[in-house]
Amino acid sequence: MKLFSINILYICFFTFSVVGSEASAKVSDIEIEVSLNRDTIGLNEQVILQITVISSEQNLPAPRLPTLPMFKVYSQGRSSNISITNGVVSATLTYRYIFTPQRAGTFPIENISIVHKNKRFKGNSVELTVLNQGVATPKHLEGSARDPRGNSRDYFLEAAVDKKNPYVGQQVTLTLKFYIAVQNYGSPELSEPTMTGFWSEVIGNKPVYFQRINNRRYKVSERKYALFPTQTGELTIGRAMISATIATRRNTRDPFSMFGNVFGRGKDITVRSDPVTVNVKSLPTKKKPKNFTGTVGKFSITASADKRKVEVNQPVTVLFKITGVGNIKSVAEPAIPDLADFRIYRASSSENTSRVNDKLGGTKIYEEVFIPGRPGEMTIPSISYNYFDPESRRYQTIKTRPIKISVIKPEGYVAAPQSPFQPNDISIGNEARDIRYIKTDLGDTQPIGQVLIFRPIYIAVNGLPLAILAGLIVIRKRREKLQANVGYARSRSASKMARKRLSKARILSNKETVLDFYAELNSVLVSYIADKLNISPHGLTTDKVRELLSARDASQELIADIINVFQKCDYARYAPSTIEQEDIDQSLKTVEEVMVGIEGVKFD
Amino acid sequence: MTDKILAILLMTLICASAADGQEDIFRTGVKYYQESNYDDAVRMFSKIEKSGIESAALYYNLGNAYFKSGDLGRAVLYYHRAKRLGPGDADIINNLKFASQFSKVQMVGVQLNPVEAFLKDTVGSYKLSALGWLFSLFFISFLILLIMKYGLQYFFTGIDAVIISMLCLTIFAAGLTSFKYRVDYLDRRAVIIAPEAPVYSGPSSNTELELRGAPGLVVELLQESGDYYNVLLENKRRGWIKKDLVAEI
Repeated sequence: MKLFSINILYICFFTFSVVGSEASAKVSDIEIEVSLNRDTIGLNEQVILQITVISSEQNLPAPRLPTLPMFKVYSQGRSSNISITNGVVSATLTYRYIFTPQRAGTFPIENISIVHKNKRFKGNSVELTVLNQGVATPKHLEGSARDPRGNSRDYFLEAAVDKKNPYVGQQVTLTLKFYIAVQNYGSPELSEPTMTGFWSEVIGNKPVYFQRINNRRYKVSERKYALFPTQTGELTIGRAMISATIATRRNTRDPFSMFGNVFGRGKDITVRSDPVTVNVKSLPTKKKPKNFTGTVGKFSITASADKRKVEVNQPVTVLFKITGVGNIKSVAEPAIPDLADFRIYRASSSENTSRVNDKLGGTKIYEEVFIPGRPGEMTIPSISYNYFDPESRRYQTIKTRPIKISVIKPEGYVAAPQSPFQPNDISIGNEARDIRYIKTDLGDTQPIGQVLIFRPIYIAVNGLPLAILAGLIVIRKRREKLQANVGYARSRSASKMARKRLSKARILSNKETVLDFYAELNSVLVSYIADKLNISPHGLTTDKVRELLSARDASQELIADIINVFQKCDYARYAPSTIEQEDIDQSLKTVEEVMVGIEGVKFD
Repeated sequence: MTDKILAILLMTLICASAADGQEDIFRTGVKYYQESNYDDAVRMFSKIEKSGIESAALYYNLGNAYFKSGDLGRAVLYYHRAKRLGPGDADIINNLKFASQFSKVQMVGVQLNPVEAFLKDTVGSYKLSALGWLFSLFFISFLILLIMKYGLQYFFTGIDAVIISMLCLTIFAAGLTSFKYRVDYLDRRAVIIAPEAPVYSGPSSNTELELRGAPGLVVELLQESGDYYNVLLENKRRGWIKKDLVAEI
């Protein structure tokens, strides 16, 4: 199966080679990079040698390896990566070999070369150290595990990166390893290293394991970080620090040493890692796509619409999913060209991160809303997306599939008028210069929310003539009634006349003029009742008054008071000497009360 | 009643004196605007608004300052407020039209009632106060004629025809005034001011998303439910939007 895959790759490669041979003949730029996955191994271990050939030519021969009798060499196959940028085909070929050492020693691996068109292209040399022991401890670890006097250390902290020369935006994995050969109490406390110039995310902690270094067994705690350089040049990852409490060394001369550490309080220690320097390369400018947005990694893109049939001016949400390995949070939005038939705007973006073999990746989803402006069959075209692949060292272009949308006319649809406005030429903010200038005068002000039609002045202006009209109409109506109805006129003027005459009677209200007073009082009352009843005052007897008032539902009390006043008047006329001032005042008061009482009687 | 009238007079006096002080703040706002310091210009103009005073020029300038500082939603909001106070102002109409074009969501208006459209066109460029005074003119003339005829018994040839004509004009002006009042004050309209404004099919974010509104989009508020407004979009579609994403005109 593996062989089959390699063959397919080879066929593909061959096909591209034939197609591209004419173009590539003009260029002969071949780079060979040789690397080992480990530089020190034990006799029982293997190492992978990787040869990367980068060239604008495709029909290159396989690299020649030097004679290496101290190793058994097996080919692990070849992979190729073809890219076509601006019509130029280029390839990255990776050859992998497994080296199994036959004896210990330090062996340089050099002179790996390719001969092409009578020219020899050489790769860099690497050195592999094979140790006698079964599994090698890296040399630097053996050094770290000793102090300057050569004594074995109880603990130390190592910081290492997997790449010393990454591209900007390419993941660098930082590994912190805390080695401890003595007992520690509680959990060691880590102070994270400073990572200026990197965007960082913790990958996680590895379960604790043991490693033998210099014949001493160390417990190893490992923590990994994914770092993405955000700038080029030399960047330094600061020192990490671990604080822990460890058991103190046992004093062998102490007879109670076997109990000493059980009840001992331990010793607080801090240990720091060395700073790590990384030299960050900038992305190649050669063949850099014009619309490259800075995405680094290895990605694929898909587009999907939530509906394929929609009414005019109704939104269609299109999800652009970019999935792959790289700093998913910095994956830029796909550049969508302006489409005449759609208004487009970004709705939201979301991301899911994942980790595979310490490589950070995941999916970033950009939600874009497309609003069709007219009915018909529309197509959201294929959208291109560029990224830089640091493994192949090439810019890659990926594309979505076109999406067909059927746009239907809604009920009552009216086409929008042609707008002179060109959204691409102007922008909101200070640069937009087409709004008219501000006003320099505050103008007519008013309290917020005040409405003229509810202002008192407005109500007064409109209400006043209405009141005048109503008043005039009432006056006129009254005048007309008075003119048309004598009885009503007499009744309306009865009180006024009676009060006038009552004033005259009041002047006569003393003992000297007692006869005149009662004559006037009788006349006032008779005239008042006659006017109210619109009858002649002549012949109005007490019986007649009683009868008329009873017929108009006057109260019996009122009628009795009136009869009483009449009787008093008659009595005074015949025996004036018996009348006291008190009687006079009482009679006057009674008449006034009676008049008030009669006002309440209906005479119509 | 007398107390009420006195309070109203006092309020009017306070407003008149406050307006004098606000002129200085207004001029400072204009100065900031001229110096391209739009945030401070907004701050100064808003200060006047917060004191309880409004004018078409104030709202217009606030619209301009928000537009220049990149806040499209509030720019459109204040242009609409300015238009209510000064509907015939060409600057306000121009800037409202100009700013509205930047809204990422443009609705195609579906006009269902031609009579309403005609009335809106008719009263659109007049202030409510102008229509109010027009009504008063016809109404008072009508009353004077009635006073002449019925109060003072003064007649002239064709007085009845004139009274009927004046009554018709009064009814027409009253209709326009009340329609304008309804459009300006009773119909609650709002502008989307938040950068992201989802419109749902119900008063909850768990319901189906109808549309994503954008700053500057004008909606009609129909009813309220909890934190949501039921809105009518220009294309006569309905939906629910969170209250804090819009500002009422």
